[in-house]
Amino acid sequence: MPWMCWVWALLGIWLGQWALAQATPIFAEETQSSGLQSRFEGDYVVGGGLAAFDCNGDGLPELVLAGGAQRAKLYLNQSPVGGPLRFREERGGVELEGVMGAYPLDIDSDGLPDLALLRDGEDVLLRGLGNCRFENANRRWGFQGGNTWTTAFSATWEQGQTWPTLATGAYVKRNTTFPWGTCRGNALYRPAPGGKGFAAPWPLEPSYCALSMLFSDWNRSGTPALRVSNDREYYQGKGQEQLWQLTPGQPPRLYTEAEGWKRLQIWGMGIASYDLTGSGYPVYYLTSMGDNKLQMLESPERPSYIDIAFRRNATAHRPYTGGDVHMSTAWHAQFEDVNNDSLIDLFVSKGNVGFMREAAARDPNNLMLGRPDGTFVEVGDKAGVASFLRGRGAQVVDLNADGLLDIVVVNRLDRAQVWRNLGGASGQPLGNWLQVRLRQPGPNPDAVGAWLEVELPGRVLRRELTVGGGHLSGGLGFVHFGLGPAERVRLRVRWPDGEQEGWLEAPSNRFVVLARGQGLLGYTPGRSY
Amino acid sequence: MKPFTKVMVLLWFALAVPAFAQQIIVGVSWANFQEERWKIDERAIREQLGRMGATYISADAQSSSEKQLNDIDALIARGAKALIILAWDKDAILPAIDKAKAAGIPVVAYDRLIENNYAYYITFDNVEVGRMQAREVFKVRPKGNYAFILGANTDPNADFLHKGQLEVLDAAIKRGDIKVVGKQYTEGWKPEVAQRNMEQILTANGNKVDAVVASNDGTAGGVVAALAAVGLAGKVPVSGQDGDQAALNRVARGLQTVSVWKDARELGRRAAEAAVLMARGTPMDKLPGRTIFADGPNKVRMNALLLKPIPITRENLDVVLRAGWITKQALCQGVSGTNAPAACR
Repeated sequence: MPWMCWVWALLGIWLGQWALAQATPIFAEETQSSGLQSRFEGDYVVGGGLAAFDCNGDGLPELVLAGGAQRAKLYLNQSPVGGPLRFREERGGVELEGVMGAYPLDIDSDGLPDLALLRDGEDVLLRGLGNCRFENANRRWGFQGGNTWTTAFSATWEQGQTWPTLATGAYVKRNTTFPWGTCRGNALYRPAPGGKGFAAPWPLEPSYCALSMLFSDWNRSGTPALRVSNDREYYQGKGQEQLWQLTPGQPPRLYTEAEGWKRLQIWGMGIASYDLTGSGYPVYYLTSMGDNKLQMLESPERPSYIDIAFRRNATAHRPYTGGDVHMSTAWHAQFEDVNNDSLIDLFVSKGNVGFMREAAARDPNNLMLGRPDGTFVEVGDKAGVASFLRGRGAQVVDLNADGLLDIVVVNRLDRAQVWRNLGGASGQPLGNWLQVRLRQPGPNPDAVGAWLEVELPGRVLRRELTVGGGHLSGGLGFVHFGLGPAERVRLRVRWPDGEQEGWLEAPSNRFVVLARGQGLLGYTPGRSY
Repeated sequence: MKPFTKVMVLLWFALAVPAFAQQIIVGVSWANFQEERWKIDERAIREQLGRMGATYISADAQSSSEKQLNDIDALIARGAKALIILAWDKDAILPAIDKAKAAGIPVVAYDRLIENNYAYYITFDNVEVGRMQAREVFKVRPKGNYAFILGANTDPNADFLHKGQLEVLDAAIKRGDIKVVGKQYTEGWKPEVAQRNMEQILTANGNKVDAVVASNDGTAGGVVAALAAVGLAGKVPVSGQDGDQAALNRVARGLQTVSVWKDARELGRRAAEAAVLMARGTPMDKLPGRTIFADGPNKVRMNALLLKPIPITRENLDVVLRAGWITKQALCQGVSGTNAPAACR
């Protein structure tokens, strides 16, 4: 039948395009040669995150890695641009024990990044002093760091506030042989009445053993809400995933089932978000054991989500290589474009809780490439990131300023690993890219809560700048966009206060700073801005 | 259409439809078929379906509740007239049961409870397992200090087992013949946790523990290790369940008193039988051996078949040998001549 030939021919063209769009990036593990030597140790089944941010103004992100029972470590990034990864440990004031994870943000808006250290014990806000020096600012900022085993964090600037609002999530009671049902209290720290420093924490009850939190403007109302992902292992059937509404000046309140929220019980460990569908609204990837979830908003009128993970081939529920047939345990998730084809990819760190027999012992990390039809395809083994260590927190971030995103993973009871993205298989460049950093005068200089849009032929990439989510890991700095073949693109920002800027022309394969009121400024890593 | 043709067509339907109706397709939805044990169940299901003239089709959810929902849709689309479902997630599966119900397709909840009374629940009687564990230990040690090593507190089965254990021992506890000197849940049923808990119980009682009721073979292994460290292994009776190879070997060596064994072949046979009978129109309450189960977390009254397990002690080790469950070599490894049980001689 001749029409069948046509079908096959069209299918061939279509598959050809797919193959083109899905060039697998090759990652080389450079843990040993990079000098990174950090382990997440101790009896901490969860936690083990890192922060990636530039604290000495050279445009290359430094790393702060949680050590659990060992002290946290700061590594200065000394990688040559486009070259092999190089790190040098330096004491900077982060070297505390009991650190579960870290998130960078500029709390006091002085232009120097600060750091939230989440701990087993008192959480500590470190004030950045410049040149990667930090000091404990809990007293200075009136931050009551509590005494729980803290395992989640997020931050936002509420409308009209000059100081951020922080949320922390707590896990079970430590030092008990029977932790089930002992979820400790989550807390919300709003600005003190004077607008500087923090008020006493507000209990975010009920608390269900949060392992990830994210302030995100789920319905584009201009007011982010707090999504909380909880571990069903310990809330004994009573808990579920949560979404806290945070109206300025009002106490936080949970969205209810009557309003459209759907009860969901998972072993929630990490949250990633991105406007994957092009609808203008973020979808949320929630990591768990077995199935991972991809939650898509049904309508902006109601906080009601349906799961599209299976449809999009993103459940990543069990190992795809290594032969272990038990379910996977997923932790950090992050949407980024690792092959610069302008389709959004998904990295998920994996690893057994400890020695749990029902779950895979050999549990490889996932690297799922986005395809033109919206589904994902697993390439973790081909790309070279399928580590079988007990992965926990992670960051997908350009560590050597070559426009290709690299990967760092903290491992429980093992050494943290780092992979350099080398580009395509035979060294050919993958696609064009653009990295953008937002700056605005006054409070919240990094414009947390802004939406950045990049216009490609026929499509707009859209991402929300957030602090939080993942598994106890966060980044602050340049935001990466893969552009595919596009040479020039247009870029615009909606600032956190709602002001929409006009489109700006941007070249590809550059770092640019988008300074509010000043337009685009070129930037070369290695120099301060 | 000519009248004659019409008659022929009608005749064809009249003859053919019942013949087709005999060809029952049973769809089996596995939670994670690559786990070794389900191969045994599958063989038993296939054989029984064959005996009853039914056809086997299956799908493997591979530990994904999302995939399992999809699998069940596909099994229905492929013509399944009855479903046997081993649920990966007992809550996430519920929409599939509603779909089967809407399509009028009977459902067997296989081994794992699906708490919807449209399903026919087939499993082993866990309360009876608990009774058997306690009975065998009690036979050996009717008086003394007892320790209970329970299962995971997140697993409802752990409580069913303990319920059965207490039914048997309660009178002796009340009489004061038995003193409970320790009782611990075991996180994730992990042997190493059971071992640590047992060590603590031994320490707290100056090693004066006379019997241990452990809820499965994994925890029994941890208990025996803890007992061995203080020279009590083989002297203190210990229970278990599952017929693990290592546990049956411990029974043969005299280190463990009983392993309550659930014959997966029996489970498979009975599930296949129930599925075919229901597809042929037998109501659930008329199925052979049917009883009521209402001990789920939501106390839903379910039609159920609760099979009787078999306690394996050194007296009847030949049962597992004859069933091909374990090789003689694995069973009798390290068993010394004079004290060997009959099955190892």
